[in-house]
Amino acid sequence: MSNLIKKDKVIAYVVVSLGAVIMLAPFYFMFVFASHSNSGILSVPPPIFFGDYIVENFNTLIDFLPYFWHNIGLSLFVAVVTTILNLLFCSLAGYAFAMFDFKFKNFLFVGIMATMLLPPFLGMIPTAMIMSQIGWMNDPKALIIPAACGAMGIFMMRQFIASAIPKELVEAARMDGCREFKIYYRVVIPLITPAFGTLGLITFIGSWNNFMGPLVVMNDMKMFTIPLALRALQGTGQIPWGAVAIGAAIAVLPLLFLFVIASRRLIDGLTAGAVKG
Amino acid sequence: MNTTTSHKVSSTLHKVPPKKGSLWLRKGNKIAPYFFISPFFIIFGVFGLFPLLFSLYLSFHYWEPAAGLSAMEWVGLENYVFALQDEWFQKSIYNTVVIALKSGIPQHVVAIPLAFFIHTSFTRWRNTVIGVYFVPYITSTVAISLVFTTLFSRDFGMVNQVLTSLGNFTVADIHVLSWIFPVNNVDWARPEYTKDMISFVVFWRYVGWNTVLYLSALQTIPKDLYEAAIIDGANRYQQFWYVTLPLLKPMAFFAVTLTIIGNLQLFEEPFIITGGTGGIDQAGKTAAMHMYLTAFVESDFGTASAISWILFMMIAGLTWMNHKLLGGSNEE
Amino acid sequence: MITFKKTVVFSTLCAALISNAANAEQVEITVASFPNFNQVAEAAVPLFEKIHPEIKVKIVSTAYMDHHNAMTTALATGANLPDVMSIEANYIGRLAQSGGLEPLNVAPYNANEFYQKITPFTLAQGSDSDGNLRAMPADIGPGSLFYRKDILDKSGVTQEELIKNWDSFIDAGIKVKEKTGDYLLANAVDIKDIYIRANLKDGEGVYFDKDHNILVNSPRFKEAFRLSKKARMAGIDAKVSPWTNEWTEGLKRGTISVQMMGAWLGGHLQDWIAPDATGLWRSTQLPNGALASWGGSFYAIPVKAKHKPEAWEFIKFMSTTKEIQLLGMKEINAFPALIEAQDDPFFEEKLPYLGNQQARLAWKETAMKIPSVSMDRYDEVARQIVSDALEKVLEHDADIDTVLADAVKQIKRKARRR
Repeated sequence: MSNLIKKDKVIAYVVVSLGAVIMLAPFYFMFVFASHSNSGILSVPPPIFFGDYIVENFNTLIDFLPYFWHNIGLSLFVAVVTTILNLLFCSLAGYAFAMFDFKFKNFLFVGIMATMLLPPFLGMIPTAMIMSQIGWMNDPKALIIPAACGAMGIFMMRQFIASAIPKELVEAARMDGCREFKIYYRVVIPLITPAFGTLGLITFIGSWNNFMGPLVVMNDMKMFTIPLALRALQGTGQIPWGAVAIGAAIAVLPLLFLFVIASRRLIDGLTAGAVKG
Repeated sequence: MNTTTSHKVSSTLHKVPPKKGSLWLRKGNKIAPYFFISPFFIIFGVFGLFPLLFSLYLSFHYWEPAAGLSAMEWVGLENYVFALQDEWFQKSIYNTVVIALKSGIPQHVVAIPLAFFIHTSFTRWRNTVIGVYFVPYITSTVAISLVFTTLFSRDFGMVNQVLTSLGNFTVADIHVLSWIFPVNNVDWARPEYTKDMISFVVFWRYVGWNTVLYLSALQTIPKDLYEAAIIDGANRYQQFWYVTLPLLKPMAFFAVTLTIIGNLQLFEEPFIITGGTGGIDQAGKTAAMHMYLTAFVESDFGTASAISWILFMMIAGLTWMNHKLLGGSNEE
Repeated sequence: MITFKKTVVFSTLCAALISNAANAEQVEITVASFPNFNQVAEAAVPLFEKIHPEIKVKIVSTAYMDHHNAMTTALATGANLPDVMSIEANYIGRLAQSGGLEPLNVAPYNANEFYQKITPFTLAQGSDSDGNLRAMPADIGPGSLFYRKDILDKSGVTQEELIKNWDSFIDAGIKVKEKTGDYLLANAVDIKDIYIRANLKDGEGVYFDKDHNILVNSPRFKEAFRLSKKARMAGIDAKVSPWTNEWTEGLKRGTISVQMMGAWLGGHLQDWIAPDATGLWRSTQLPNGALASWGGSFYAIPVKAKHKPEAWEFIKFMSTTKEIQLLGMKEINAFPALIEAQDDPFFEEKLPYLGNQQARLAWKETAMKIPSVSMDRYDEVARQIVSDALEKVLEHDADIDTVLADAVKQIKRKARRR
């Protein structure tokens, strides 16, 4: 019996490793393509090792996207601010739903959750109209504010707070005469940093990768975020694949970097709250 | 126990007499939660609800958008009727369902055992393995879809290189794997393969995400349950089948719900992979893309709005069904 | 080279500078464009700003499809409208019919004064169904057939055989396939695309006539479908779509030996698709004497634009100045819509890339003969439905009459609001 399971285990390890190769292959080829010329990429068989065309590809990219660095900076700015606002607003709301009893609580919570079902561009045209009415076209605000507090984040925070923070702790602080907001930042925040890590990462990534939002409100190439800038390369007849790959690599690298240093936190954060609860 | 100290703290902090303070606290306690949840409602009201109501209003109108807002004309349910009878819409729903099944089922079928295996058999490499599977989820859809279009290229793509070399793998002059792998290059842009290509990219992107969700649920399963099962003589498979799976149900509900919602809204992957057109014979056009194209290619914002509301009702209906099916019995 | 070009343009236009001397306030106009049409405007702006120091030009540019979608949204919301809107031929039908663009043929623009100077067929493209010009033509795409002479020679196919009529065209493809293994066509669909556009009567549209009657279930479409099917059955097409990797590589490596497209393709072939193939390609007429247009660009002014007079100054500069029109040809191979520019000695140059043909003269001749085709706001919808119908015929062996009858039904339903 145990022999059989051992054999199965070896097979499972092999399958998991093969799967891991498939997961990583597109990234690998992205970097490989970034170092090859167009005709190099489009040859049979395609290149599997790094080439020496990286500088030329980068120059092509800057040729096609003269504001590339500005685009990166803007993406970063939008993502960071959106993340900070989400952490604040979602944890506040999650705290309220987890720890308080108030009228219409369930109704309001279900209402918030229901917004997750809404297709994101249900209100695409009206959103564009509002943004132009208040003069937010080509303004990072148009991307940050509507995304500053998402239903998903509230849900995550509520789940986490409900499981990680004993109600008695909040009661005790309340008995100690702490004001509600003070309880929030003295008692709640220190205990939910793992959830902050997770939600922060998810929000940052979501904002960095957002495509539909900027597509509607950004129409000046200088104010493009990274996905829009990369998409712009596709719209030309002559697609410079090497430059596309290097642009994609630059867009993905910060995420990979963030993930490498914070993946433990993300995974622990997702799991820790549940374990404690 | 420490009421006196607490009163001292509160009075020194707020400089109010304890009695008034407690009154304020009681009131504050009532207002505070509303205050805490207000940012969502303010933001949603302005940038979510208003556009929604407008799009609902729009869905009952015919509007020639370039002629301005004044050119709206009430048509009642005509947009809905038209959309539902429209072959293009039906086709896009079909595409969406096929892609949702082809990418969604493998996601969960792979993610649950993978999570179980990682949970039970990896210690030192655990985080690395999770990381490797999770990393596609965090990448830019646009960036990686562009890379995939190159990988799926008919004549120059790595995918076809690998598949055909497997298909042409010979043992004693027989293509032993040709029954499962192609012998010639597959034209992924052909209508019969477009959905497979998109499904693979979607699967690739979300399988790790689901694995992490299931892993988090696995960690909540108390060790003593397994111990009890082992005492009862259950082997690994029996543990998985009788202990793990039932306890994964709530998480499965959550994860499958997210998959359904995500798939019905699928837009970016097919959009980038088919260059915004939906591909030959519209084979890669999802319902969300159909809505987008109805709005921007046909300039028919009324019908597009109606489509978006039909889609919304479908998403809501499916989520509810899923809730009944998976989540119902486990409700506390 | 470019600097020299600009100096010439500059000096020829210097005179105008004096009349438009120091003006009090500078107006900034926004020009919305798409690659690589935006390059013409970018090259022309410094010259324009020298002549009109009172106008500053800002060019914003987004990807081809995104640009046109953004323009639709902008017209819909009345927000973020540019002063000058660039429009490509595929979108001209829907935008020109939308009512959101200024009629340019009447005062204060009076573009009708320029009608005699512009290639006739393109004026019809830029006009709405009432005959008002909504978008000013900037460049055009006279349809042309490019072929690899070396491959045809090897296969023993002459140019006459290739273009005599469509059946001989397909026979030539079979010969090429037998002798060299190369494909004649990128895609059998190309034949349909040319055939349905070819030799229309003045005033007739591709999919609709002037009175919006659907023309799809006609001998023109049936024959187009039949020929496409015949070509697919003969195995002479590479089954690749234009602008894909397989397409560019096929043209580059000569596995695709013919491409029918706008005359501007010659420039693309030379610049980046097949830069090493100097002297191998030739340009000639489309088979069976077909006359068709492929692509083209326009400038328009939204009704709600803020700086209309200045926008019009810019459009006039881009569309009716010979030097700028030639600049467009030199920058991005945009074929000038302005007849005066087509009369420039530049057009008589022999093109080494095309084996020293005087191809530009031939294209100019074609351009003058192309009939004025009327555009319809449902052209894009009809195009999609007809493409899907052809797909059924080519891949699933469906009956041509049935799919076309079905297509008519679909178009009728889709175009429910007239």
